[in-house]
Amino acid sequence: MKEMLEIKDLKARIDGTEILTGLSLTVNAGEVHAIMGPNGSGKSTLAQVIAGHEDYEVTGGTVKFLGTDLLELAPEVRAREGIFLGFQYPVEIPGVNNAYLLKAAVNAKRLHQGQSEVDAFEFLKLAREKMKVLGMDPAFLNRGVNEGFSGGEKKRNEILQMAMLEPRLAILDETDSGLDIDAMKAVANGINALRDGDRAIVLVTHYQRLLDYIEPDFVHVLSNGTIIRSGDKSLALQLEERGYDWVREAANG
Amino acid sequence: MSDIAIQHELLRAAVDRLPADRLSSVRQAALSQFSACGFPTARHEDWRYTNLAPAIERSNAWLREAATVQEYRQVELPTPAIDAYWIPIANGIAGDIPPELGELDITVRRLSDAGADSTLDTSEAMSSFNAALLRDGLKLTVGRDVRVEKPIGFLITDDSDTQIRLSQVRIIIEVGQHSHIRLIENYPRAESSNGFTNAVMQLELAPQARADYLRLQDCHSQHIQIGRLVARLERDTALHYLSLDFGGGLVRSDVEVDIAGVGAEVSLHGLILAAGRAHIDSHTRVDHRVGPATSTEEFRSIVNDRARFVFNGKAVVHAGADGTDAHQANHNLLLSGQAEVDTKPELEIYADDVKCSHGATVGQLDELALFYLRSRGLDREQATRMLTGAFAASILSSLPIESVRDALEDLLLKRLEKLTAGDLS
Repeated sequence: MKEMLEIKDLKARIDGTEILTGLSLTVNAGEVHAIMGPNGSGKSTLAQVIAGHEDYEVTGGTVKFLGTDLLELAPEVRAREGIFLGFQYPVEIPGVNNAYLLKAAVNAKRLHQGQSEVDAFEFLKLAREKMKVLGMDPAFLNRGVNEGFSGGEKKRNEILQMAMLEPRLAILDETDSGLDIDAMKAVANGINALRDGDRAIVLVTHYQRLLDYIEPDFVHVLSNGTIIRSGDKSLALQLEERGYDWVREAANG
Repeated sequence: MSDIAIQHELLRAAVDRLPADRLSSVRQAALSQFSACGFPTARHEDWRYTNLAPAIERSNAWLREAATVQEYRQVELPTPAIDAYWIPIANGIAGDIPPELGELDITVRRLSDAGADSTLDTSEAMSSFNAALLRDGLKLTVGRDVRVEKPIGFLITDDSDTQIRLSQVRIIIEVGQHSHIRLIENYPRAESSNGFTNAVMQLELAPQARADYLRLQDCHSQHIQIGRLVARLERDTALHYLSLDFGGGLVRSDVEVDIAGVGAEVSLHGLILAAGRAHIDSHTRVDHRVGPATSTEEFRSIVNDRARFVFNGKAVVHAGADGTDAHQANHNLLLSGQAEVDTKPELEIYADDVKCSHGATVGQLDELALFYLRSRGLDREQATRMLTGAFAASILSSLPIESVRDALEDLLLKRLEKLTAGDLS
């Protein structure tokens, strides 16, 4: 199987506080991984470091994406190479038209890959199709990016961006939080539509609820900045029933 | 602050050399008035942040070179991509007047002819300086019930790319009852500049008249531009004003609106892009003498490098002006650590039944938004342009003259590209 993401002994800190303390994880093409863990365990930090947020300082370890050193690349280059981060808190950008950003993002990637810019008509057609799957009103295309969107609308908008960009590796940071059951299903549909043998998905989540709709191949438990247990989807169910303490105790023992 | 003063003997000689015409006595009176006070200094509250020393130096150099031959000189510039009845004004003197204006019941006269029946505003030092050295000016009289879609544009240039040039521009516009006109005061960009333009625009709106006004200042980064718009509004009038500063080195712009009739509606908007070492100062003052009447104001600036923007917006609600609605906002975006903004929205209220608000913000680009855009594949420059463009767009949405939108959006995009790269030359 093709290695998509290879993280070895990753250490990272923000404002002098070490958050990731030596994390290792390998994700292969075609796989779906769920990363779970209590608040403050480093889940979002891991997602931000992979996307290239400059506030996080990597102090040790390596991250390879399709064999190249990811940490050397600017955030935009990572995106163009096929990494997508679905934000836990999507940013509102008043005055920047949603369609305008989508198109600029798609074109940035296409130009990077030596393709021509997308045809305006084709682009709109495709966007509308994807929005239909996600149960989004096409009017959202002409609104400011996430401007005045509800929590659920923002998360759908993240998945719309992902669907248009067709990343090789999608990291979705608590995409399920704040969603009602219909929104959850719509979002899960969008994510499942991306699943194929050439792509990989990392779901960062608190609850196993989302995993009822998107079946993971692997489940990892993160605690104090490192993975303390990995298993298959049954691990998520166990966590739901028993909480995280027993895993931590088992790891310490 | 500075010891540089205008050379009064040279100034007097220059005024005396101007041809004897109907403006002669006005010039002499203005000269006495100006000589008594001279250029404003930092000791004047209204000029605290703006040092006019470079303007005085350039004026003195011009006076010394006796370059006081003031004549219209056609300047080669691309025709603006805006459809308007353009009146070219070079070195302060108007060229050919579009003949169509006469057919629209808009009379255009030179002040040297019309001088006797116009009052030149000299209520401020720079305006008396203007009147003292005024070679000529224009007076537009718009009849009653005149509605003209196509803007009347003043294309104001000089030949300061080849020499030091001081130009005084004076335009008086009287809009008749129930008329609606659109005006553009345009200072296009030259290749280089050693010029100082001092412009005074006087606008009078008769009852139920409306003026949509665009000031577009896109001068070279070495140009000195001082301008003042004095507007007097009668009953049920409307003035919608948008000012764009996309260039210039030392720029001071004053807008003074006198609401003298009930039911007047005023909106003042401004967008300032400043880079390099540009210094741009926008002062506005709205006097609500009667009510009900409304004034809304919003100015935004994007400042990079070591540039500086000064904002002072004042609304004065006079005693008895009940039913006044006055709102002011100023928002500023600093793109560099050395950029500076001094902002002061002011309200003076002497009436009881009023609705007034004011506010100002100074901030930087939202780093989180930048990262969000970069995580979608946009590079830093592209993301910066997108965010500054969005910040600017909210002002451009208040554009009072719809037909110029495309041209202005193109220009804004070009200027923003340079601004975010720190280059507004």
